[in-house]
Amino acid sequence: MIAHVASSGEDSGRVVLQLGSRTPSVVALDAAIRIAQAFQSEIESVFVENQQLLDCTSFGFVREVSLTGRWLKTVSREEMASGLRFAANNARRQVEKLARQADVPLRCRVVRDDPLRAISVACAETGPWNVVVLAEPLLPGDGVFLKQLMLEIEGATGLGVVGPKAERCSGPAIIVVEDTAELPGMLMTAERVAALDSGAIVLLLMATREDQLAQMEGEARLVVGGREDVRIATAEIDRGEAGVMAETLRRLRGGFVIGAYGGLLVPEDGDLRPLLAALECPLFLVR
Amino acid sequence: MFFKRPQQDSPGAKGGADVSSVAARPQPLLATELRRVVDPAKLGFKTTDELDPITGLIGQERALKAIQFGTSIKSHDFNIFVLGPPASGKTTAVRSHLHPKAATSPTPPDWAYVYNFDNPNVPKALQLPPGRARTLAKGMLASLDELRVVLPAVFEGEDYQVRRRAIDEQFRSGQDGAFETLNAKAQAQNIALLRTPTGFTMAPMHEGKVVKPEVFAALPEGMRKDIEVKIEGLQKELQAILERVPKADKSRRAQLSELNEEVAKHAVREALDDLAAAFADVNEAIDFLEAAGRDLIRNVGLFLASAEDDNAIVKQPLDVARDARFRRYQVNVMVSSDNGPNSGAPVIEELNPTYGNVIGRVEHLAQMGTLITDFLLIKPGALHRANGGYLLLDARKLLLSPFAWESLKRCIKAREVRIEQPTEVSGLISTQSLSPEPIPLDVRVVLFGDRELYYLLAAHDPDFLRLFKVQADFDDTISRSGENDQAYARLIASIVKQHSLKPVDAAGVARLMDEGSRLADDREKLSIEIGRIADIVREADYWSDQAKRKVTSKQDMARAIEEQTQRADRLRDRAQEVIKRGVVLVDTEGVQVGQVNGLSVQQLGSFSFGRPSRITARTRLGSGRVTDIEREAKLGGPLHTKGVMILWGFLAGRYALDMPLALAATLVFEQSYGGVDGDSASSAELYALLSALAEVPIRQSLAVTGSVNQWGEVQAIGGVNEKIEGFFDVCRARGLSDKHGVLIPRSNVQHLMLREDVVEAVRHGQFSVYPVASIDEGLEILTGVKSGERGDDGRYPAGTLNRLVEDKLRSFAERSRNFSKAGVGAAEDGKAPT
Repeated sequence: MIAHVASSGEDSGRVVLQLGSRTPSVVALDAAIRIAQAFQSEIESVFVENQQLLDCTSFGFVREVSLTGRWLKTVSREEMASGLRFAANNARRQVEKLARQADVPLRCRVVRDDPLRAISVACAETGPWNVVVLAEPLLPGDGVFLKQLMLEIEGATGLGVVGPKAERCSGPAIIVVEDTAELPGMLMTAERVAALDSGAIVLLLMATREDQLAQMEGEARLVVGGREDVRIATAEIDRGEAGVMAETLRRLRGGFVIGAYGGLLVPEDGDLRPLLAALECPLFLVR
Repeated sequence: MFFKRPQQDSPGAKGGADVSSVAARPQPLLATELRRVVDPAKLGFKTTDELDPITGLIGQERALKAIQFGTSIKSHDFNIFVLGPPASGKTTAVRSHLHPKAATSPTPPDWAYVYNFDNPNVPKALQLPPGRARTLAKGMLASLDELRVVLPAVFEGEDYQVRRRAIDEQFRSGQDGAFETLNAKAQAQNIALLRTPTGFTMAPMHEGKVVKPEVFAALPEGMRKDIEVKIEGLQKELQAILERVPKADKSRRAQLSELNEEVAKHAVREALDDLAAAFADVNEAIDFLEAAGRDLIRNVGLFLASAEDDNAIVKQPLDVARDARFRRYQVNVMVSSDNGPNSGAPVIEELNPTYGNVIGRVEHLAQMGTLITDFLLIKPGALHRANGGYLLLDARKLLLSPFAWESLKRCIKAREVRIEQPTEVSGLISTQSLSPEPIPLDVRVVLFGDRELYYLLAAHDPDFLRLFKVQADFDDTISRSGENDQAYARLIASIVKQHSLKPVDAAGVARLMDEGSRLADDREKLSIEIGRIADIVREADYWSDQAKRKVTSKQDMARAIEEQTQRADRLRDRAQEVIKRGVVLVDTEGVQVGQVNGLSVQQLGSFSFGRPSRITARTRLGSGRVTDIEREAKLGGPLHTKGVMILWGFLAGRYALDMPLALAATLVFEQSYGGVDGDSASSAELYALLSALAEVPIRQSLAVTGSVNQWGEVQAIGGVNEKIEGFFDVCRARGLSDKHGVLIPRSNVQHLMLREDVVEAVRHGQFSVYPVASIDEGLEILTGVKSGERGDDGRYPAGTLNRLVEDKLRSFAERSRNFSKAGVGAAEDGKAPT
C-alpha cells in the first residue's frame, strides 16, 4: 500500500481539493497545501455546486432554515445558485491566497453535480496518482459518504480529511500501523509530510492483542533501524474501543495522522464519532 | 582777573589766562594712595600647601544663616531663593550645606504607579516603605514569569483537559445528538437534510438522492401532501434545534469560564503568595496584589496565548517585562531609595527644569500611526525624586520653560505632584489620556538667581513671596581685614586643591588678592566671585606650567590677568587708536574755553574699560534753560538727564538768587553716537558750562569724572579705576608729561586700585590723580583761577571764577530786562526775539 501523488508536470495526478457549500476548514486547506508541497504536486480545487440543492428549490413547500434557526424562508433557484456562486468565489479566494503563499500551482473549477460523482470525474480525468482532500470537516454522520469515497473513486491513492475539532497541521507525523507490511510505503509518505515540519515521525502500532503488538514492534524496529527521528508507540485496542484509540492519538499531538482505511482506525462500517471527537489534525487515509 | 575769550565762536581756540600761575590748588594723590598692595611676607606662609583649604564660603554669614533657617523650618511655604551674582559659589555653598543635613534626615517613602483595575485612566499611586518599591516591581515580574510557565502547564494538564472535554462533549453531544436524531428521523421518512451555503434545507428523497421535481410532481397528490407535511414538521424541529445552539453555547462558555477561573485561581494564588507575605505590612500593596490576582484569574487566556508561541520554529525566551499583555500587572517605580531605608533625604538638582523634567510626564508610544500610553509610561519629575528632601533649580531657566514655573507653584501650594499634559495645563487641547493620582509632596525648593530676578518676581508675582519666604542673599565682596585676608588665602588653597593645581606662593596669593580688590572696585574689599577667581588661578597654573615652575608665582598670576585682559580688549584698543589718530577728538594738552575731557566706562561682558570723551558747552542770552543735546537727540538716559537738571539747580541756587537766570546753554558729548547714561559726567558738564560762562579756559591735559549735587559737591561714581586708566592710556600714547592727570571725587579715593603702570607713572611725576570734594576745587585745578567765596557784601571777589560767572549771568539778566523794556519779548531758546 502506498500513497502517492503525481508531481507537478507529470500529468498523472494532483491534489484534488473538494469544496462545497459548507465553510471550508482552514486546517483542511492547509493540509491540502502541505500534501502538495510534500509531493511537489499541484492542486486542483473543485467547488461542487450540489445539484440536489438546486432541485430542492423547485419544491414550493421547502424552506431554508438559517444556521441560527432564527429564520425560515423559501429560496428560489436563482437565490440558491447565487449563494453557491458566492460561496465558490469565497472559497476560491481563500485557496488562491494559501497557494500563492506556499508557491503551489493551483487550478480552480466549479462543477454542478453530485459531490461524489464530481470527485470521481475529477480523479478520472487525470490519474491515477491523485489524492483527494475534503475541505469540509467530516461529520459523525458522514461514514457512508467516506466509505463511498474510499471504495468507489478510482484514480486516487489517498484521502485527506479533517474533523470538526481540527486545529493544527504542525507536529510529528503519526503513522497508525495495523499491518507492518504497509509500513515502508506509509513511512515514505510520512517522511515527505514530516519534512515540512519538525521531521519527527511517530509509529503508533495498533493491534487487538499483545502478542500481535510485540511482533509488530519487532518488525517495525527492523524497518526503522536506528533512526532517531522515528519514535515507536503502541496501543492495544480491542475492536470497538474506539474511544481509547482516539485519546491515544490526541495525546500524541500529531500534525498529520496517516492510516489505512478499513481497519481499527477507520472501520468501514464503524462509528466515526470517537475518532472525530479526538482528531485535532488532518487524517491522511491511504488505500 | 578777567578772561576774555578771544574768539567767541571758537571754543577750540586757546584761551587767554596763564593758568599755571595760580597756586593753592588741591594736591594730587601720592602713588601709594592709588593702589593697596598686599605684602606677601605678612601673609605668614610660603605656599598654599601650608594652608588648610577652607570648606564652604567666606563672608557669607547672612546668606548661610538664611539657608540654615530655610532648610530647618517645617513649613511648605518657607522655600528659599538664593540670590547673588553668578559664580559666587551659591550652589556649592547650598549643596555643601544640604548634603550633610539630608544624610541625617529621615528617608522618604518610595512611590510607584500601578494599574488601576477599576479605572484604568487613573493609575494608582502606591506609597511603600523606603527601598521596597523595586522589590515589589521585581516580585511582580518574577510572579508573572512563574505564571507564564505554570499556567499553560496547568491548562495543558490532564485534569483540566478532561474536565474541559467533558463540558465540550456535553454541549456537542447534546447538539449532535439532536441533529443526528432529526437526521435519522428525516431519512427514515425519505427526507433528505441538506446543507446550503447559509443554512439547511430538506427535500423528498429516494434511494439517497433528492427526488427530481418532475418525478415528485408525478406522485399522487395525497402522497405529495403527506411529504409536504412531514417536511414542514421536520423543518420546525430543525429550527428549534438550531435556536437552542446559542443558549447551549453560552452555557458551555460559562462552564468553561468557571472551570478556567477555578484552575487559574490556585496557580495565581501560589505565584503571588510569597510577594503578599513580603508586603503583609503594607496595606496598599496588598490591595494591589489582590486586585492584580483577581484580574489575572479573569484574564488567564493571556498566558495561554503566549504558550502557543512554543510552536514557533525559533523559540525565544519570553520576557514578561516586554510583553504588552502583561504590562498592567507591572509596577512603575517612580522613586525608590535604592541605597536602603537609611539613605537619608534626597538632594536633587535639575539642570534643565522644563515642565516635564520638574513635574513629570506621561510619555506616549507611536503605534500604527497613533499615540498610545499607559501607566508604565509615567515618568517621574524632579519633584518626585526630591520628595521628602530638597530640590535645587535655576530660577531663570525655570522661568524660561513654558508652564514650569506656574506648575511648580501649583504643586507647592497644593502640596502634591499632579502630572498633567502641558496641553491640559494650557487648556488648549483636551484629549483622553491618563490622569495619575497625585502624590503628596513634601519638598523644600531652593531657587538660584540674580538679584534683579528676585526683585522682579517679588514685584510682579504675588505668589512668589508667599511661597519663597526665605531670601538667602549672597554678597559679592568681603571687607579687607587680617582675618579675611587669611580666609581668602585659604579659599585660594581650596581652589588649588579642588582643581588639583600646583600650589600658589605667597606673592602669587598677594597678587590675586590685589586683583580681588580690583574686581571688587574697592580697595577696602575683596571680590568673592569664586568662579572668576578660580579661572585666574587655573590660568595662572597653566602659565606656570609653560614656564616650567613647580609653584604658581606672582608672575604667573600677573600673566593670567594680563592675558585675560588682552583677550577681551580689542574694542578698548580700537577706542584708543581712533583717539590717537585724531578720528575722535580728545585734546590732551593746551587749554579751551567751554570744553573738558569727561570719562566714561564701557562694559563688554566681564571686561570694562574707560575712555575719554570731549564735553563742550556754549552759552548765550536766553530764558533760563540748559539744553542737554544728548537728551534732545534721545541718546541720553534718565540718569544723565537728571545730572544735567541738577546743574540748573546749582546755577540758579548759587548765582541767580536775586535775578532771573536769563541763560541759554547747550551741552554735548562730542562724537558720541551711542547712548549716554549715568551722572558721572555731570561735574565735567558743569565745569564746561562754568568755563563757557566765565570765558576761562580749561586745561585739556586733565580729565574729569564725578557727579555733582545742587550744592556743588562732587560725589562718588563707579568704575573710577577704569576711567583713570582710560585717560592715562590716551596720554601715554601721546607722551606723558607732568601736566596730565584726572580729577576724581574725593570719596572715590578708597576705591582706587589702579594698574601698576599708572601707579608707576604717578610715582615718577608723569601723571596725577586729584581728589576733589567740590566744584570750586575742581575749577581751580582745571582753570588755575581761584573760584572765590562770597564776601560780606554778598559778592564774589573780583577776578575769581565765580565772580566772572555771576557777572556774565547778571549781564544776561540786564540785557534780558532791556529787551523787555523795549517791548521785545525775552529771547526764547533757539528762537529770535519778537
